[in-house]
Amino acid sequence: MTRIGGGAPWVVASGLLVPLAIALAAWWVPDDADQGYSQRIFYFHVPIALTTYAAFGYGAVCAAMYLRTRDERWDLRSYVGIHVGSIFGCLVLITGALWAKVSWGVWWDWSDRQLNVFLVLFLFYCAYFMLRFSLDEGERRFAYSAVYTLLGVGLIPLSILAVRVAESLLHPTVFTADGAAMTSEMFTTFLVALAGMLCLGAAMITLELRGKRLALRIREVRRRLEGTNL
Amino acid sequence: MIADAFVLARKDLLLEFRRREVVLGMIQYVVSTLVIVHFAILGADGSERAAAGMLWAAILFTAILSLNRCFAADQEEGALETLQLAPVDRAAIWLGKVLAQMAYLIAMELVALPAFWLFFFGDEGPAPLPVIAAVLLADLGLATVGVLVAALTQGARAGDVLLPVLFLPISIPLVIGAVTATLESFPDGDGTLRALGFLGLFDTLFALLAWGTFEHLTGE
Repeated sequence: MTRIGGGAPWVVASGLLVPLAIALAAWWVPDDADQGYSQRIFYFHVPIALTTYAAFGYGAVCAAMYLRTRDERWDLRSYVGIHVGSIFGCLVLITGALWAKVSWGVWWDWSDRQLNVFLVLFLFYCAYFMLRFSLDEGERRFAYSAVYTLLGVGLIPLSILAVRVAESLLHPTVFTADGAAMTSEMFTTFLVALAGMLCLGAAMITLELRGKRLALRIREVRRRLEGTNL
Repeated sequence: MIADAFVLARKDLLLEFRRREVVLGMIQYVVSTLVIVHFAILGADGSERAAAGMLWAAILFTAILSLNRCFAADQEEGALETLQLAPVDRAAIWLGKVLAQMAYLIAMELVALPAFWLFFFGDEGPAPLPVIAAVLLADLGLATVGVLVAALTQGARAGDVLLPVLFLPISIPLVIGAVTATLESFPDGDGTLRALGFLGLFDTLFALLAWGTFEHLTGE
């Protein structure tokens, strides 16, 4: 029988860490010398983006596991990972556009490397849902969705390289080979926000998995009951 | 496996030679697109460099025409099921289709590239050799990814609509690399090799991914 699964620790951790990150970003960290108060969106925009990549990565690993084992529980995990990643991806685009408007005076800058990479990936993963729901439920849907998800593994490094080939340097580079270019308060707040967002992502994945497994079990029980009545 | 792939590609090309239903349509489409681009870009005082970028939009959209027909004949005649039963490596089916798609694209570009030069450049265009190299590398990338995506969408509901929806986002890095290679081929450019190297990397990475995963796409 399919295990429904918990997720309570992730919910509690994100319930504590996300409000803490908001409080730290609002009242504790100093203003950025260059961008002032508006730079505080960084503490949410970047952790949300990293959580998006983590969720897509989780989806890709589960897709590979599905192709290896043909166990449909991996397909469900892969789908949920990409679904949650897409939700976080929407938030990245919204917070990124807000930050760009405040900092650069435009909602979108086509010469910016990271914005464009993210947009390519977001479009790619949005198309995943169209493919998945164009196929009838069953092994074919699971396998085709998994193969498409794995294409993302190639697309992520290539998108980064492609925009580097046609390069520009507008986006602030905070993390360099020499470490993080920020004060200890800023870095601590960033880490708390990152931990909070990762826990929130994990909580959303486990809760959605729980809902989907419950729905599957209810369907199974209903099918058995209908069989008994016959 | 390579020999099987050539046999399968020959079968597709022979079918196309007899029916003439894809390549002629592609040529008509790409030349019409270039004429439209001429009026849309240069008519609005756009630069020749903008037109160089538009070449790739025309090639990309034209490639979708042939990819939409990639598995059509096999499905109509039931050849795909027979192929799956045949003792050939599943990757040979993918490679055979890639070779056939490459041939269609090159046939289309034999007309499109001279027309492109004629419409947009006199003697002051980009250097032809790097552009031809970029076209060949981009063709390989388009065919590699395109055949995999065509296999994903064959048999899906609204597969004709789904193919460009899946194919275009994956092609964006390829188009960025190809446009960069073309722009760097103008006399003042110096990054052609870097862009061509990127196109080669794209082809290699997606060829490996497609090769490794294609067996999961044919049959239950």
